[in-house]
Amino acid sequence: MAGNNIYYNQSTEHGNNPSPTTNQVQANQHVVNSAHGHGQLAPGDVFPTLLSSLGNHRHISFFNADISELPVIIYDSKVGFHTYASSSSMVNQKLFTMHQDAYGHFHPPIRRASDNQPVSMDLSVTSLVVFEWIAIIVVLFLFGWVGRKYKKNPTKAPSGFQNALEFLVVFLRNDIVYPNVGSVKSAKTLLPYFIGLFCFIFTCNLIGLIPGGHTATGALAVTGALAIIAYFVINITAIKEAGIGNWLKHLLGGAPIWLCPIMIPIEIISMFVKPFALTIRLFANMTAGHVVLLSLIGLIFFFKLSNGMGVGLAITPISVGFSIFMYLLELLVALLQAYIFTTLTAVFVGLAIGEHAHEEHAH
Amino acid sequence: MDLGTLGAGLGAGITVLGAGLGIGRLAAAALEALARQPEVAGDARTTMIIAAALIEGVALFSCVICMLLVVMK
Repeated sequence: MAGNNIYYNQSTEHGNNPSPTTNQVQANQHVVNSAHGHGQLAPGDVFPTLLSSLGNHRHISFFNADISELPVIIYDSKVGFHTYASSSSMVNQKLFTMHQDAYGHFHPPIRRASDNQPVSMDLSVTSLVVFEWIAIIVVLFLFGWVGRKYKKNPTKAPSGFQNALEFLVVFLRNDIVYPNVGSVKSAKTLLPYFIGLFCFIFTCNLIGLIPGGHTATGALAVTGALAIIAYFVINITAIKEAGIGNWLKHLLGGAPIWLCPIMIPIEIISMFVKPFALTIRLFANMTAGHVVLLSLIGLIFFFKLSNGMGVGLAITPISVGFSIFMYLLELLVALLQAYIFTTLTAVFVGLAIGEHAHEEHAH
Repeated sequence: MDLGTLGAGLGAGITVLGAGLGIGRLAAAALEALARQPEVAGDARTTMIIAAALIEGVALFSCVICMLLVVMK
């Protein structure tokens, strides 16, 4: 790297290495791993440092201020089930170890202290889990508040925020769930699920756009969990609506029986591809926007560090202009992706039911 | 710069080419349908957005693969 000398002179003041020349590589590693570059970076490290703030963290921070460390929950086949109030208290108990960078932040994997192997299950509360909880609390609060208004005055016309939520719920019911699901009975049962799904994804997406917030839907684990729920909703509704026999017949895809060696694997794969596509679509859309946004902001620092202050200042208006455009685009994407996830789930439910109904007519 | 990074960049470019073509054709067809039959606007829009999402999904698959090429070398 060309710019090593620029920053390790300063970065060693954070580290505990008395002779920087021998530990150059280690010092590099510390700065790259850290989400908050207090020291000066090499131009090439600007983007990795910025992008590392996207992932899952073991602490909550607002911009550069660390607010608190998060609890650790570990299940291990050898040592058993352990919970700790924070990562540092876990390390202090000396049963498990975890990498700590120069700024005091911890990075997984958690390892057993005895044989230095990764633990079998790390169920810790991470920053994205906290932001999911925030989203859940926001949704529950808003709907609880508006719901109480309806209970108090059922006959009064809605006003203010009540209007907005009523518009949203009516839109979801009339334009997404009822036309796409098809069967009115199932649509009625599933309506709360779809409203919850839409509001949760939308709130998560929007919290990620508030400066200092994280996008919980920008993690594969979160979108994967949502898609697994969608998978069960799709198939359980189909089985309830058409019966287990018709659901199994659906695996043939309406083809003659001698085609079953080809059709059954294809239908089973297509059953799993739908939720997989939902997972990747939401994850990639939410991550891509943030990567572009961070890269545009990173250009300022990159040009400042490689070409000097003047070029950095000159690039700033362009960079900020593009960032604002991307930010507005992301607002649109946040709404659109919540809409698409909900619509596609409804369409898949409708497809699963519709095909069974069709087969019922055929027999 | 190694060949993996180069491949990832080229791959992302080709992906965008395909996805842009696909969504462009889709939007053109939907606009044409709207111009001929303005009364099906709602249906056409929903169908268009779903199809666009499916195209975009495939494009994003390949973008994720390109990202993995860079990140996981």
